[in-house]
Amino acid sequence: MPIVEVSFTDLQRLARRSINSEDLLKALELMKGEVEEVSGDSIVFEASHDRPDLFSAEGLGRALRYLLGVEEPLSTSPVSEDTAELRVVNPPRYRPYAYISIVKGVELDDEAIRQLFQLQEKLHATYCRDRALVSIGLYDLDKVKPPIIYTSVSDGRYVPLGYSEEMSLKEILEKTEKGVKYAHLVKEGEYPLLTDSEGQVLSFPPILNAEWNKVTPETKNVIIDVTGTEPHLMMRVLNIVTHAVLERGYGKALIMKAKVIGGVPDNPYPTTPHLEGKLFSVHVEDVESLLGLRVSTEDIPVLLKRMGYAVTSITSDGVKVWVPPYRVDVHGVVDIIEDLAISYGYNELPTETLPPTHFSGRSSIERLTRTIRDIMVGLGFNEVVNFMLIDPDILKLVTDEPFVTVANPKMKTYSALRNCMLASILIAGKVNSEKMGEVEVFEVGDYVIPKQHDAESVRGMAFLLMGDKYTLTDGLVTAKSVALTLGLKYRFEPYEGKPYIRGRAAKVFLNDVEVGRVGEVHPEVLVELGLTKPVVAGEFNLTKILREIIERK
Amino acid sequence: MGRRAEASRLAEAVGRRQSDIMRDLVELESKNLVKVFRVKIWHVCLSPDGRRYLKEGLPEERLLKIVEAQKEFPSVKELAKACGLSRNEFAAAFGRLRKYGVVKVVSGKVIYSGDGVEKLLSDIRRTRELLENISECIHVRELPEWVAELKRRGMIEVAESRVIEVEATETLRELLEAGRISEAPLITRITSEVIVSGKWKGAVLKEFDLSIDVPVKYPSRKHPYVEFLNHVREVVESMGFVEAKGPHVETALWNFDVLFVPQYHPARRESDVYFVAGETVGVAPSDVLERTREVHERVWKYRWDPREALKLVLRTHTTPVSMRTIYSRKEGEYRVYSLDRVFRPDTPDPTHLMEFHQLEGIIVGKHVTFKHLLGFFKEFAKRLGLGEVRFRPAYFPFTEPSVEGYIKHPRLGWIEVFPGGMFRPEVLYAVGLKDHNVAAWGIGIDRIAMMVLNINDIRDLYTNDVDIIKSTPLPREVMR
Repeated sequence: MPIVEVSFTDLQRLARRSINSEDLLKALELMKGEVEEVSGDSIVFEASHDRPDLFSAEGLGRALRYLLGVEEPLSTSPVSEDTAELRVVNPPRYRPYAYISIVKGVELDDEAIRQLFQLQEKLHATYCRDRALVSIGLYDLDKVKPPIIYTSVSDGRYVPLGYSEEMSLKEILEKTEKGVKYAHLVKEGEYPLLTDSEGQVLSFPPILNAEWNKVTPETKNVIIDVTGTEPHLMMRVLNIVTHAVLERGYGKALIMKAKVIGGVPDNPYPTTPHLEGKLFSVHVEDVESLLGLRVSTEDIPVLLKRMGYAVTSITSDGVKVWVPPYRVDVHGVVDIIEDLAISYGYNELPTETLPPTHFSGRSSIERLTRTIRDIMVGLGFNEVVNFMLIDPDILKLVTDEPFVTVANPKMKTYSALRNCMLASILIAGKVNSEKMGEVEVFEVGDYVIPKQHDAESVRGMAFLLMGDKYTLTDGLVTAKSVALTLGLKYRFEPYEGKPYIRGRAAKVFLNDVEVGRVGEVHPEVLVELGLTKPVVAGEFNLTKILREIIERK
Repeated sequence: MGRRAEASRLAEAVGRRQSDIMRDLVELESKNLVKVFRVKIWHVCLSPDGRRYLKEGLPEERLLKIVEAQKEFPSVKELAKACGLSRNEFAAAFGRLRKYGVVKVVSGKVIYSGDGVEKLLSDIRRTRELLENISECIHVRELPEWVAELKRRGMIEVAESRVIEVEATETLRELLEAGRISEAPLITRITSEVIVSGKWKGAVLKEFDLSIDVPVKYPSRKHPYVEFLNHVREVVESMGFVEAKGPHVETALWNFDVLFVPQYHPARRESDVYFVAGETVGVAPSDVLERTREVHERVWKYRWDPREALKLVLRTHTTPVSMRTIYSRKEGEYRVYSLDRVFRPDTPDPTHLMEFHQLEGIIVGKHVTFKHLLGFFKEFAKRLGLGEVRFRPAYFPFTEPSVEGYIKHPRLGWIEVFPGGMFRPEVLYAVGLKDHNVAAWGIGIDRIAMMVLNINDIRDLYTNDVDIIKSTPLPREVMR
């Protein structure tokens, strides 16, 4: 979740009302924000991922205006009469879309520029998937010669933002920090470029803007561009940024739309930004069937206006609501009803405990697990618990069977999923190896066997007897005791294989189904694990016992 | 004051070791029949030198004889060499001769004057007597003042020890005189032989002293964390839920796509999900794939990639189990829970693990609403003994409305423990559930387990150490 820093002074300027910090904290809770730190004029909060319109002070200030009733939401955005143009000429095939919007009549200062920059960075980091899907740029309109052109080039030269000398595009990719970081997003020979009509470079998206046309405190009119691969996502981002810049007109700025000329034939947005918003009907019945709360048609507009929705009409059974285009989290009526519930107050909502209406119950494998644990503890074993994630080297030591490995592990120790319980119980043996006397432990847990299209989870039980006095006989005694307590016939057959000593291990059959093995662990394995005492161990497949014996009976 | 007897002697008299009768003495003392004293005893013994002096003469005695026999006045060095004493012995003996004026040193020569010989001889006699009196060893309660000097001269050695002494009280004497005390066999351990032979008749069966601590014997134990998880299962079942299970290795489809998480969502990045290595491609029901594609492309408006959806991941939550349950059971009134392990990339530390347990649950029905979810959280907290629950708005991609329930932690204040919500219509559409609501939650149960089991490091929940497992007390919440 993005961490956003805003200034209290700036926020009050945007909200057009003095606010005390207590009210602000309450308001942030309603917007799913979590305050991290308040110091002096600065407030740091964690914004909710679904509310990118609140990733900077502009959106937060606007939301506060509605929440505190400073202003009622309108069902349109303020738009100027005139339009601009964006020419898309031979765009890069791997990044074919570009849109712009213009906001006229803003008043900027350092804090405002810092906020807009923060918004841009937080959007890049989240919705834009680190610029892979969408890249955003802001420029001073009065410094460029429209129309703006989006094209692709094999190379070019300009002074990048934050530098004093001209560089080629290739140099930018090699020498600048952003160039190195985002070079993988562009293809050589087909570099994206935004220029003005005189060929001056505005930006080399998604890498770096130019120095000459950057937004400064003197800027009055701002161009915003988005370029990328996902047109609808780009439009959501453009709407958020456009409406944030609009806030810097403090009620007086206007949005100027732009026509997209040329470009890919499937472009869904010939004029940008797309400001239509969404209209929904919210019925009293819908609210009741989702929340279990009965509200009146008079209550709904009051509750929704506070949350920034424009109520366009009231009918006998509900209201019609306009959702502004920057509220990209609203997909349907349920999203509006959630805001209604938030506005009502989560702790004021009715609650009801449903009495049990059906027979409840444990899964059969958990019931068998419970029985097995009772038997093992009764036999004097202690229960231990290990992770399913395990060191693949330990698995290889214990078995030749395949196992699932993780493609992106954080530590080798936890980079595979265990494919047996035996490996885990040996780890428990190691943990307790310095103890005085004998160790008798068991573990019941799940392990995973890779299959052709998926991987099967299996419930298993392993036990371990560690100490000089144990031999295979003790393992067989344990197996027999479990079998007879479960009321099953048992049979042993010689077993040869990892990790046991040849001639000192057995397959265990219950009711003639092979369900496990018992044996003396080979000294070679013990030494490899760093164990110095003899170990007798065994393992049962509980899933198999359940399916092929207990449930078959 | 009555006469005291050493406990060791008493023990000898009844044919036992002193340690055997100590408990009896303590018991008798508690009944005011005897008084027990712990006394310090000094042991003063001849040292090997002391023994030799008695035989060969004290160093000053021997030096005197040599000095008397000298014809000329030797130098101190010559005398030391001639006398056959060790350096220390000579120094001490020569000092004593000078002290009594028997010899004088003039210009380095030792001059024998003959003065003070009587006094020196009397001192020698006294020292000899003391040593002879000691013979081998004497045992005293207080050290005589001469001990210090003889010890300094290395003639004796001093050690100390403590002895237990016992004295009969007035009460005991009176009881004895009144004939109230008689001898009877004492039985401390009742054996089969005692019972069968009738020896117990007329014997005194020794009373136990409960003030004396006994050793502890820990039983073989079930793991406290597994016990807690089963307790949680019982609580949820008592609220009308049935348990379901699902695979740990999931397709991204069930883990994310079905849950309306767009394929570009940050929760699907490699830093947040463990992907399965290798070429294995998952399979999924075609109707789920098709409805998921349709709903993603209609609402999120991007190109949905089925290959991305069929990647295998280690499930990051147990919500796929709920999804699979709804897909197979479809419409109806039911409540299902699951409690199993989930995985998220992390490096273990006191508050994070890469593998932990989640308690997942759904209430499916035509008239299930958000208020029933809030009601569930309140009731669940009550049954687990967690106290009051507060609610805050929250965001999860697959529920709307979404909520986070908070409980009050004794140390940390309000902590978030109950995330949940009503499944979005897009989610229910993807798994083919019509005209029903689903209240759902996915609780990270480890955090609550740490509270209940009073554990501060999450890694300790998964301990393998038998000593810790055996000695962890069962919490009241689990025993109720």
